[in-house]
Amino acid sequence: MSDPIDLMPPLPPEAEEAPWRPSKLTPREWARENLFSNWWNSLLTVLFGVGFVYLGYRTLRFVFVSADWEIVRINLTNFMLGRFPREEIWRVWVSAYVLIAAVGLTVGAYHQTAVERAAEAGLPHATPSVSDRLKRFWPAILLIAVLLALSETITPLLIVLGAFAVGIAARFAGPLLPASIRRWSWAILLVGIVAWLQILNAAGGVGWNDWGGLHLTLFMTVAGIVLAFPIGLLAALARRSTLPALRILSVTYIEFIRGVPLITLLLMGQFMLRFFVPEGFPVPSDVTRALIAITLFEGAYVAEVVRGGLQAVPRGQSEAAYAVGLPTPKVMRFIVLPQALRAVIPAMVGQFISLFKDTSLLYIIGVLEMLSVSEAANAQPIFQGRGLSSVTLPLVGLIYWVGSYTMSKESRRIERKLGVGER
Amino acid sequence: MIKRLVGLVLVLALVAAACGGGDDEETSLLDTIRERGELNCGVNDAVPGFGYVEADGTFSGFDVQYCRAVAAAVLGDATAVKFVPLTAAQRFTSLQSGEIDVLIRNTTATASRDGTEGATFLTTTFYDGQGMMVRTGEFESIDDMANTTVCVLTGTTTELNLASRFAGIPYTALTFESNDPLREAFVSGQCDGWTSDKSQLAAVKGGVEESGVAVTILDETFSKEPLGPVVADGDSTWAQVVNWVVMATIQAEEWGITSGNIGGLTDEASVQAAIDSGMLSGPTATAPNIVKFLGIDQTDPGLGLDPDFVVDVIGQVGNYGELYEANVAPLGLERGQNDLWFKGGLLYSWPYR
Amino acid sequence: MTAETRAAVRPPWWRNLRVLRAVAQIAAVLGALAVFVFLLLTVRTNLEAKGISTSFDFLTQPAGFTVAGSGLERTEPIWKFIIFGGAKNTLLSIALGLPLTTLLGLIVGVGRLSRNFLVRQAATIYVETLRNIPPLLVILFTFLALLLPLPTIQNATTVADLIVVSNREIAFPSLANQENAAIFWLLVLVALAAAATVWIWRSRLFDRTGRPHHRVLWSLATFAAIAAAAWFALGEPVVISKPVVDERVITGGFKMLASYVTVTLALTVYTASHVAEIIRGSILAVPKGQTEASFAVGLTNFQRYRFVVLPQAARIAIPPMINQYLNFTKNTSLALAVGYAEVTFVIVTVIGNANPAPQSIAILMVVYLVFSLTISAISNAVNRRLQLASKR
Repeated sequence: MSDPIDLMPPLPPEAEEAPWRPSKLTPREWARENLFSNWWNSLLTVLFGVGFVYLGYRTLRFVFVSADWEIVRINLTNFMLGRFPREEIWRVWVSAYVLIAAVGLTVGAYHQTAVERAAEAGLPHATPSVSDRLKRFWPAILLIAVLLALSETITPLLIVLGAFAVGIAARFAGPLLPASIRRWSWAILLVGIVAWLQILNAAGGVGWNDWGGLHLTLFMTVAGIVLAFPIGLLAALARRSTLPALRILSVTYIEFIRGVPLITLLLMGQFMLRFFVPEGFPVPSDVTRALIAITLFEGAYVAEVVRGGLQAVPRGQSEAAYAVGLPTPKVMRFIVLPQALRAVIPAMVGQFISLFKDTSLLYIIGVLEMLSVSEAANAQPIFQGRGLSSVTLPLVGLIYWVGSYTMSKESRRIERKLGVGER
Repeated sequence: MIKRLVGLVLVLALVAAACGGGDDEETSLLDTIRERGELNCGVNDAVPGFGYVEADGTFSGFDVQYCRAVAAAVLGDATAVKFVPLTAAQRFTSLQSGEIDVLIRNTTATASRDGTEGATFLTTTFYDGQGMMVRTGEFESIDDMANTTVCVLTGTTTELNLASRFAGIPYTALTFESNDPLREAFVSGQCDGWTSDKSQLAAVKGGVEESGVAVTILDETFSKEPLGPVVADGDSTWAQVVNWVVMATIQAEEWGITSGNIGGLTDEASVQAAIDSGMLSGPTATAPNIVKFLGIDQTDPGLGLDPDFVVDVIGQVGNYGELYEANVAPLGLERGQNDLWFKGGLLYSWPYR
Repeated sequence: MTAETRAAVRPPWWRNLRVLRAVAQIAAVLGALAVFVFLLLTVRTNLEAKGISTSFDFLTQPAGFTVAGSGLERTEPIWKFIIFGGAKNTLLSIALGLPLTTLLGLIVGVGRLSRNFLVRQAATIYVETLRNIPPLLVILFTFLALLLPLPTIQNATTVADLIVVSNREIAFPSLANQENAAIFWLLVLVALAAAATVWIWRSRLFDRTGRPHHRVLWSLATFAAIAAAAWFALGEPVVISKPVVDERVITGGFKMLASYVTVTLALTVYTASHVAEIIRGSILAVPKGQTEASFAVGLTNFQRYRFVVLPQAARIAIPPMINQYLNFTKNTSLALAVGYAEVTFVIVTVIGNANPAPQSIAILMVVYLVFSLTISAISNAVNRRLQLASKR
């Protein structure tokens, strides 16, 4: 009997290179399938089609015809930086460049390390192309373009181009660092952050009490999460501890904070924190009080996120570590936490986005973030009483939207890369 | 791990407890401010004409200028001010806690505030009153406004005055935290009336009419709103300083001394020449009085300020009339009660003898 | 092991794990207590130094005004009642908002998986836009958007002669009690009990005999019969009161303030975008075999969702949805930006009127803790009932 395999004709050579894909639908077929498959679908298509067209028309008309963008144009620096003293603005740019350079170097170094490791293991490592990056970040690029279009001079455009140049240069310089320094890329980032803070503060600089606008929002978000992380980590470990006292203390803290809105903690910071400070201590400023309240708040949520990550690490890992004789601190540090923290990255980014949006609450306690700037701009002599909040609020909304949307897209991308949630 | 946690907690508690003690000697805010080199002034950041933020991030307004006047008197430099914008709810607690040295923020002096808030009110800088703004033609007076909805800002005397004026007349109050949504509610017809200090109504009237809604501010003034600077209780030296700075601006206008002509008043002769030429005039405008006022003869009234603090105040900031013209007059408000006593108003400076 | 051997091998106390554990816990508790007591004492000293009261006496002081929309306008305006009014307003917002959020989230979540391209895109745009802006901005936008199209009270439109729509209040018909109303409501309760009994009876009948139970129809019929009989017998004890606009006042009916509608609508729309994502995720998590099997058996789309997909998806969706309900509750605190007098706004007003801040904020936190813990408890009970025998 001849070998059954011989009865199959050999595959044409092209099949080796081109994997099979389902044939693409023609436009007509696609429309029939997706829009008009039955009467109900057709009705929906008509309704929603009309709705889309109408909304699109109204939006475009608002943006280009009826809205008076003068208020934004004049107050753009206020929206970005609040009441930052204008003669010290150079500090903002210099510190931003330093930070961008540090981040670029770190990203480049980390990428190079990842590529080398992948090459060692024989795995492919895909580098996203420029067009991929543009597609990922199109909202941010759009926002920057809009803001530059609204600015009155050409200086912001030059500064932004310079920032891009510095970032790209640093990103490409990163891989050029020798491997021994690349291992410490996180230290480069740390130095960059410290330098950023110092340039803004040192030698008659501007403390964070005088920052405002988007600058302050970003600072509060990052500082809030960074400061809350140790607290959250401790609380999560305490909650899983075998000592009941620690567990109870931790649970009380976490459930109390999660049961109250952030605004109550901010109000507590505003009105009560000064009474917690003993005589002789200086009363912390508005911004510091808000930062303390935010840190306490985020600590509880970060604790829950970290706890989820700790629970995701299989018990066998810690059991094996104990069996090998490692003491608990070393088990945590070398076995459990590295795995746990990698698993919580998407949830942490989600928490970061949440905090970014929650900084809008600072408006209610009088800290000068973007909504307060909108209100202050509307009180200026030329603009007051004209109801221009319908112009400034969409701009603030756009800034928040771009930030959150970009971060959530990146988070999903990281989730996919890490294979989180796949079985 | 646990041991470290426990140790950290105990150490923190010990440190905090140890730093709890320590009494300071009785010093006045005046000395503290001089040491610091900067005046902390609580202001508004969204009230047209009185305290608002310009496009370049600097503060402007009638109250803001008075902060600068105090700084000029105490520190010799009108720019040595740190402005702290405050909401209505925060202002008194900020003053009590020492976060700000003086509060100049459209604050009405009332008996209960003087009593319970731990605050001392000083010379009134602006005599205001509460009024009601309605759409033109809808109502002739407040008594017509039964069953209406009135928009008002929260946390101020405005709410309470509204309630007492409308006692017996059914109404609904719609309270807001800030002027932006309030304005929208009024313009769209959610409220029939907008009540606030008349200076504020005058400020927003122009903008509202520009959006096509014709409005009228009713004549009736149903509360007294004397606005002035506020300092914390218990520091009479500091209270006197702020008080006399305000008086200085009023006295300067009484005699016609402006930021423009004060530079030329360097000695008794130039003062006499100014009086003779009619540049300086007014009741009790004699050369010895003016010389003492300006501190030319170095007499020190014992307030703790330099003898010639008036020169700094008027020279760097201006007299009452100049401040009014620059900040309040553009809102469309006549001097009215806020004029000098011999011109029919309520401003009357105490003598500098 | 004998007692002597145990004593011999027991490590010294400073290396004994049990002793150390006890010591550590005591130390932690003492440490926390020390910090807490220290803070409390500092607060007391500071408050007394500034002459601010440390008691709750201010609650019985008169306030001088009342809280709009709370229905407590007729009671004495002391601070205690004002705070109650605020809490009641928060509760009203939650009571209407949570069911609406679930419904809207369900619709949009299913819409995101629709076959129709435009519906899918519309749902995606809705979710991606609203999820990424702060709820405070959603509230402010709704306020601006709601005011513009609605007519003023003088020009209020009445929809179908039943609902009065204006930008100040929206009024619905309600039930007005006439005489004998109390007895009627008692009989309504009796009718409810009867309907429940019938429900259980029909279900048991079905279990025993397999005959279709039609329990919904039976219970409704029982309830309607008893309630209608009571109504006629008592001579119309309860009538429908329609809202009527009279100059500026709406008489009759059940009124909702525009600010209430704004806040509830805004938060519903915002939270629904999160709920939609949760529902979409949970539907996608239902094994694909279930869908394929439903197609094979010939169920329609609706039947597939109703009987196969959603029940299984619900189990996965409920824990994150509990979170969203809690978020809704906490986000009502943002209503103070548009003047809806819920409890946070009321407390800010209380503080602004020279009442002591620490006590007021403590009250505020207790109110929110009560709401959160109640919602958590109810949702967790529902969740436990739905869980499969756990694989713990």
